[in-house]
Amino acid sequence: MIELKDIERYFQTGSLKTYVLRYVTAKILEGEFVSIMGPSGAGKSTLLNIIGMLEEPTAGEYWFLGEGVHKFNERRRAEMYREYIGFVFQAYHLIDDLTVYENLEAPLIYKKVPSAERKSRIADLLDRFNIVAKKDLFPNQLSGGQQQLVGIARALIGRPKLILADEPTGNLQSQQAEEIMSIFQQLNKEEGVTIIQVTHSEENAGYGNRILNLKDGKIDA
Amino acid sequence: MLLNYITIAIRNLRKHPLYSGLNIVGLALGIAACLLIFLYLAYETSYDNWNDRADRTVRVASDINYGGSQMGFAVAGAVIGPDCGRELPEVQSWCRFRNRGSYLVRREGELQSNIREEDVLTVDSSFFEVFPVKVLQGDPLHCLTQPNSIAISRSRAEKFFSSPQLAMGQTLMLENEDRRLITAVFEDMPQNTHFRADLLLSLVNDQEVQESPPFWGMNNNFQTYLLLRKGTDKVAFSKKFEQLARQKIAITAQQVMGFSLEEFEKTGQYAHFYLQNIPDIHLHSDLTAELAVNGNIRYVWVFSAIALFILLIACINFMNLATARSSMRAREIGVRKVLGGTRTGLMGQFLTESILVSALSVGLALLLATMVMAPYNELTGRDLSIPWAQPLFWLTLAGGAGLVGLLAGSYPAFFLSAFNAVQVVKGDPSGPGRKKVGFRSVLVVFQFSISVVLILATILVFKQLHYIQTKSLGFQKSQVIILDDAYALGDRIYAFKNEILQNPAIESATVSGYLPVPSSRSDMNFFTSRVIEVDNTVDMQRWRVDSDYFKTMGMDLQSGRFFDPAIRTDSSAVIINEAAAKLFGFDDPLGKKIYTLDNTPGSTPKPEDFKELEVIGVVRNFHWESLRSNIGPLCFQLGRSRGLASFRYTGKDTEAVIASLEKEWKSLAPDQPFSFRFLDDAFNRMYRAEQRIGTLAGLFALLSVIISCLGLFGLSAFTAEQRTKEIGIRKVLGASVLGITSLLTKDFLKLVVIAILIASPLSYYLMGDWLSDFAYRIDIQWWMFATAAVIAVIIAIVTVSLQSIKAALANPVKSLRNE
Repeated sequence: MIELKDIERYFQTGSLKTYVLRYVTAKILEGEFVSIMGPSGAGKSTLLNIIGMLEEPTAGEYWFLGEGVHKFNERRRAEMYREYIGFVFQAYHLIDDLTVYENLEAPLIYKKVPSAERKSRIADLLDRFNIVAKKDLFPNQLSGGQQQLVGIARALIGRPKLILADEPTGNLQSQQAEEIMSIFQQLNKEEGVTIIQVTHSEENAGYGNRILNLKDGKIDA
Repeated sequence: MLLNYITIAIRNLRKHPLYSGLNIVGLALGIAACLLIFLYLAYETSYDNWNDRADRTVRVASDINYGGSQMGFAVAGAVIGPDCGRELPEVQSWCRFRNRGSYLVRREGELQSNIREEDVLTVDSSFFEVFPVKVLQGDPLHCLTQPNSIAISRSRAEKFFSSPQLAMGQTLMLENEDRRLITAVFEDMPQNTHFRADLLLSLVNDQEVQESPPFWGMNNNFQTYLLLRKGTDKVAFSKKFEQLARQKIAITAQQVMGFSLEEFEKTGQYAHFYLQNIPDIHLHSDLTAELAVNGNIRYVWVFSAIALFILLIACINFMNLATARSSMRAREIGVRKVLGGTRTGLMGQFLTESILVSALSVGLALLLATMVMAPYNELTGRDLSIPWAQPLFWLTLAGGAGLVGLLAGSYPAFFLSAFNAVQVVKGDPSGPGRKKVGFRSVLVVFQFSISVVLILATILVFKQLHYIQTKSLGFQKSQVIILDDAYALGDRIYAFKNEILQNPAIESATVSGYLPVPSSRSDMNFFTSRVIEVDNTVDMQRWRVDSDYFKTMGMDLQSGRFFDPAIRTDSSAVIINEAAAKLFGFDDPLGKKIYTLDNTPGSTPKPEDFKELEVIGVVRNFHWESLRSNIGPLCFQLGRSRGLASFRYTGKDTEAVIASLEKEWKSLAPDQPFSFRFLDDAFNRMYRAEQRIGTLAGLFALLSVIISCLGLFGLSAFTAEQRTKEIGIRKVLGASVLGITSLLTKDFLKLVVIAILIASPLSYYLMGDWLSDFAYRIDIQWWMFATAAVIAVIIAIVTVSLQSIKAALANPVKSLRNE
């Protein structure tokens, strides 16, 4: 599904290149649950952003579902987000001005899903995550764990093939973190959704089935 | 999708009431101003639209340079209409107007009912053929073919006889002596026409027409209209007309003056006739003897520009606030992008927001415009209203709202939607909103430049008006009461004058229709010898006055003496002004002889036709016309002119003086309306257009300043909010309130100063152009710029300080804990 070939990401100041990522080559197959780990500053988030097409590598090739991402324009990227990729952020990043319901609805509107189907899909997810009662609340009326549940629900609602999660439990207490991680595991196992997460915690990584260790921008085999 | 956009837009507006309020109020003010201005402009440009023959109707006008004066006339000789009808086959019909001013009008046999009617024209019987005015009663083609017939408007029919039907066949008395039979009633003419008439008198058997010499270029007293046949090529016809005019003028030169057109033109003198299109008259024609006060195309352009600029200022507020606050929206944009939102979609969302704001503003603007409509009409002297019932108006309004929304929203939409998703999702704390400070500054500078230009314009216009009002005019305009309709008393006016002079409050009195404010005028040709030569003619005003005139008007002599009733030879004496002395080339004018022809000749005059006049005095130049023009040549002769009576009084007990005048009037002429005015008021009325311009410029300056300040207020509030933490830290480090206030104010002040630097040369140029209309004008001085600058700076400081001081006073603990 994802193929990275000699991905490099560096900043150039004068003749000096500061590498964030170097010689990153990796293959991630459909159905995997990969955890990217490593110390602070190792380039974990940058790698995830590159995979999520939010950043472009300075060099190297990135193939997504057999297509060269380096050839994508903004419109095509937006299409990818609509069809294949769901994001979960550490800071949740719900839209403050929208209710829970509307936050879930936004990606479906972009996907041009008809109204009736939108309703039923949202109802399903609200039900599944046990947040039906919260549907008319605004994000700032929810606890962090609840916000992240909404964040995951929003990532899932477009039925993506790939979920990218940047420290999804970083701001949560351990009990809520466990809950979130088991949802991920369930999604991966039962629905075959590919998940790539960035995490500090061994415990979280244990929910996945593969670990990519990054150290100083390189994959530590 | 759209619904979703609208929901979010509404929530966003409600969440930030301050910014939404600033945006909506600012835009509403701008749109309201625009709306009012465009109603005015629509009206100004609609003149003569009602006339479906206007496109093939033309007016004869002339440009004449003769006897030392150059003038443009909207009137032509009586012979020109018939000549054109006879010699130019393209002319389907022609009609002449003779405007003899206002008339006292009453029903026959009812002396008390005299009313002064202002809009009276004496016209050819072809009037209704040339002008498509609807005739309600009577025969449009024949109603004015009989002498002493009159056609009246519906409103006058209703006023005098309660209905058009009842008015037919009745008789009206004009000036108590002229009996007129009503032969037609026509629909009231619309206001937006270059002439208006309520009473149309028949020109048949008119003495003036019958006595008119058959020469072009003489006796220019008739507005002359030609209705062309359908399909006439107007350009070719114009040429043909001008050729005919040249031939006719050559005849005049030869037969009346005794020399050829070439000789005449060699001296630099000329008489050109040309045709004016009817729809162009209101905005493009400013000639002698126009039938109404016309508009001015320049003001139309200036006000269109002002309207657009004010709207632009309001749109800029929106742009500036939207982009400044963009860092707050940045996360939403980033998230939407990773959810699959495209840039176009996001732009759509922001545009929906701005169009919503614009729609709300339009609603508020309509409310505002309706509220100020009455004072606005008073100011513009027009009768404007919002055309609620017109679908076109709503369509334009909706289109306008959409356009304003797009204009105001497109930059923010473009700017916001371009945010890089990762930067904002990663939570880049600097936020993209801060980086575009440069462009925002440019916009603020633009806003304030316009405001400063308008402030300067206001200062200059009022300064010029003040100059006009206080300038030494060569006569004393205060403490003079003018009685209208003095001729209505007939010869009793002199008894009246003597009676009034018994009142110790009255210092002197004069009876003359000629005053140095708009009143009677008559110019004549004067010669330096008993023969017409190419260059011995001076065309000047000849005013008939009595011997008390100069004392009453407070005019001074340069040399010689005023008229003395005791000296019999003064009936052939003349007093000229300095301008006339110069034009005649007299170094010592006293005792010099000048000659005039009292009867218009039918052929080259003989020496005995000339009347000799001796110059006995030279009066100091006084402004007998508006200060827009230079002082022209003028002379006074002793004689009867009973149009107006003027009284100089002590200036005290004005009401008692007027009461005594009225009492005396009523006892002499119980059936004549008593009406009076003051000379200085009449003088000020000449500058009503300038006063209007000044007031409007002031209002628009105020408005643009208010709108600009709303924007500045919003921006400073936002900056203060953004820098809360910085302010907190600075305070903890020991910064004073003053220090912080000036820190926050300084940046904005810089922009205002730049705006002043840009606006000053611009206004210097623009206002210099405006002032050049006046032959007598003020100089543009540095202190005017300084005043405008100080005003702008003070306003800006106050606006920004409102926020800065608040931010500076805030307890730092709070802001630091908030983070």
